[in-house]
Amino acid sequence: MVESKHKWKAWLYLAPAIVLLLIFTVWPIINTVRIAFLDGYNMLGAVGGETYEFGIKNFTDVLDEYSGFKEALINTLLLTVVTVPLSTILALLIAVCLNSIRPLQRFLQTIFFLPYVTNSIAIGMVFEAMFNIIGLSPDAASAESWGIINNIIGLFGMDPVNWINVNSGYWPNFWVMVIYIVWNALPFKILILLGGLQSINKQYYDAAKVDSTPRARVFTKITVPLLSPMLAYVVITGFIGGFKEYSSIVGIFGDDMKAVGTDHSLNTMVGYIYDALGSNEGRASAAALILFAIIFVVTMINLYVSKKKTHF
Amino acid sequence: MTHQALLSEKNLQKVSTKQRIVKIIVQVMLYTFLCVMALIVVFPFYWMIISSLKSTVEYRLPVPTLFPQKIMWGNYVEAFSAANLGRLFINTVIVGVVSTLLSLVITVLSAFAFARLEFKGKNALFGALLATMMIPGELFTITNYITVNNFGWLDTYTVLIVPFLVSIFYIYLLRQNFMQIPNELYLAAKVDGTGDFKYLCKVMIPLSLPTLISITILKMMGAWNSYVWPRLVTKSEEMRLITNGLRDAFTDMSGQANIPVQMAAVAVVSFPLFLVFIFLRKYIMKGVSRSGIKG
Amino acid sequence: MKVVLQNLTKVFPSRNKKSGEEVVAVNDFTFEIPDGKLIGLLGPSGCGKSTTLYMISGLQKPTGGKIFFGDDDVTELSAENRGVGLVFQNYALYPHLTVKQNILFPLQNLKGADKLPKNQMLERAYEAAKLVQIDNLMERKPSELSGGQQQRVAIARALVKMPKVLLLDEPLSNLDARLRLQTREEIRRIQKETGITTIFVTHDQEEAMSISDMIVVMKLGVVQQIGAPQAVYDDPTNLFVAKFLGTPPINVFEGEVKAEKLYVGDSAVLDVPGVADQPVYVGIRPEGFIPDANGPLTCNLSGVDVMGRDVSLVTTHESSLNPVVRSIVDADAAKNANGITVSYSLKPHKVFLFNKETEERVYFEVK
Repeated sequence: MVESKHKWKAWLYLAPAIVLLLIFTVWPIINTVRIAFLDGYNMLGAVGGETYEFGIKNFTDVLDEYSGFKEALINTLLLTVVTVPLSTILALLIAVCLNSIRPLQRFLQTIFFLPYVTNSIAIGMVFEAMFNIIGLSPDAASAESWGIINNIIGLFGMDPVNWINVNSGYWPNFWVMVIYIVWNALPFKILILLGGLQSINKQYYDAAKVDSTPRARVFTKITVPLLSPMLAYVVITGFIGGFKEYSSIVGIFGDDMKAVGTDHSLNTMVGYIYDALGSNEGRASAAALILFAIIFVVTMINLYVSKKKTHF
Repeated sequence: MTHQALLSEKNLQKVSTKQRIVKIIVQVMLYTFLCVMALIVVFPFYWMIISSLKSTVEYRLPVPTLFPQKIMWGNYVEAFSAANLGRLFINTVIVGVVSTLLSLVITVLSAFAFARLEFKGKNALFGALLATMMIPGELFTITNYITVNNFGWLDTYTVLIVPFLVSIFYIYLLRQNFMQIPNELYLAAKVDGTGDFKYLCKVMIPLSLPTLISITILKMMGAWNSYVWPRLVTKSEEMRLITNGLRDAFTDMSGQANIPVQMAAVAVVSFPLFLVFIFLRKYIMKGVSRSGIKG
Repeated sequence: MKVVLQNLTKVFPSRNKKSGEEVVAVNDFTFEIPDGKLIGLLGPSGCGKSTTLYMISGLQKPTGGKIFFGDDDVTELSAENRGVGLVFQNYALYPHLTVKQNILFPLQNLKGADKLPKNQMLERAYEAAKLVQIDNLMERKPSELSGGQQQRVAIARALVKMPKVLLLDEPLSNLDARLRLQTREEIRRIQKETGITTIFVTHDQEEAMSISDMIVVMKLGVVQQIGAPQAVYDDPTNLFVAKFLGTPPINVFEGEVKAEKLYVGDSAVLDVPGVADQPVYVGIRPEGFIPDANGPLTCNLSGVDVMGRDVSLVTTHESSLNPVVRSIVDADAAKNANGITVSYSLKPHKVFLFNKETEERVYFEVK
């Protein structure tokens, strides 16, 4: 590093970034915390000169039974708890298989990365179309086509399911979201895990071979432990992403966050925050802080567990 | 110590045949599994493309066809007008290009300051910036929404561009890259009387081109895929971005929607991404494996 | 267990696809390793010694030739089924497992009739650990051990399954000088105690000479010479072997044989009965010089390195192919060496002649 006589020059280089960060990053942190504790804060009212009491009413409102937060929280938790392990295990399997083949390796690797470079709304609409039942009513025999997915599962002798149409149930809706989210999450996880696998010293595998180690034991006793830092990274980012799930669901079900003609909400925490924005910013802020707290706690637990499991 | 039991001649044969068979079976299983998974991964893209080329009648056949009987290019024309894709496409390109350019300038300047210049509180400031990366973006969105409202920026390009110009992650990425450039080069330039700015342009930027390309791609993709923010801050249809138009134009879920046209619109939005994927995959993968942040 | 290598050959496809040139790592290696001996495979890097070791382990498949353990042809057998112990150059200890878990690892893989109950596994692990004197470190992780300790753990892990053959790849190269001396004695002791046929690879001739029962000198995939260390040192078959063995290295001169006399420069330095007239390379071991005021070989003195009991005279000679000519002589004899030049007579059995074209040894009768 060089001693510069003109130390103010560094600040000149930083000026544009700092100005923007002050307005759009630093101020929001302060302000969001502030309005979360201003009872019933609302932007238009604030512009009109209304003042708000300091209190925790926004938080109690969020946690109120009828605010919809509880449903959003449960949806988000369920989605995260199901999709993160599912996508991680699947990605691990694919990465390990990819790592143990020679011909076609690069080609298949490219294919598996394909879903990463997509628009999650657009492809969500493709999933919507694939699960859609085409016709007047799914109950009536008049449905013209059960849709491609139902056709495929029909090949395996299963009955068609009303996945996302009028009167569809919560669980079919849920599994459609799970399938899409897992599909969407795979490429990143495969990329990271494959990178990790390729950086494991090959000699460990040679050593295991000389010692006649069975394949399954090589996987559980060598590959997984040595990959554990990468697995931890993938799981942690997976959890963070899972708690912020929103646009995948918009892609399939639209802004309303529910299947047409059904009563159960498929809203998530982030969706809840956006819903409150524009009418009740105080409540949105409170919900955002709760989301932050949850993510923070879960990440800390993850870090703690992974540190215990991966230190070497 | 005694030796392990020896293999008899016959056993030897058996073992070596067995190990060969096991190897073949494992290979077959590996490839089968990978190919099935690859098909599942690719299927939605395939379905999108063939559906976009079918007539409504064909799409509704009880047993779906795997290739369109008659190719309907007209679906694409209809998609453009139904979702106003032309106008939204221009919006998105303007927002994408302008925000990428400005963002690159700001990122380069800040990364240079953090990597090469000396000033008080540098490390503390950098650490504080990194810490903000932990906070979910929704928390910023709330106040930023209020702020741009107060600025009277709603329904302008400004509101779509300015709030997200600074990405701490990109600054971090580029700074790491800058730090790898040997300090001797900088000292040599100083001795030769090269100024900081000239050094930045002539040495640092060319040497960090791959990272800059990664950043450019990720930023452009971010504009192309952004949905939530434009929806919040634009009231008029003309100011929205392409993803908004796509979702808003096709909300009919009654089962009667014209799905081929919808798929044509989806394909139009996905097509530039495929191009990026085909030609610039390397840079994306490099950027992603260090980030885990989409867009 | 004796190990037999029969015409063993390994050809690697070229790394550069365009040129398409293949690399012959090991060429037609035939050798029988007697049961219970310690064998050193010696050569500069890229000579194929590690490839040979890996072929014996089963990790690499030979392109041609056969490998026998005892009377069994194991050429087609993969590493899993050969029952060899292998110690890697950088040990390849599993970083997430403790020393005990590392040593137990091979035992836990045993299947069927070989399967051991838990307490016997532990017993064997401790037995192996005691043999290499690390039984007090069993609960540590590899990262908490020094290089020498890691090396011992690696050996224990290879020994615990009682291998037919123990293979060591550059076992000492990652250790510092002091530890290296100590560890090589240790390897010798362990090998003696267990009586397991052991093959190790090294590029350090001193290391190979000091502990091996037999050394195999290799160059560019081709075996140069096989024999007991002293025998190879005393009787190298070609210039490469002569140059490769010995510290300080052998001194090489350009010379010529005329009328059964060896000339270096203009002076006849030695009688070489039975050698036809020809230009030759002359190799003279540092200990082959006898300071002798009337000696025929005169060199310019440039320095004296004191090494205790002996001294090394550093001299130059115009016919020498090395920048300096080093002799090792008695400290007393060197006292006279304070002039500008020093003259030597030569010990005939420390002088080797090599054909100038083939660099093969040209023998003469030593009287």
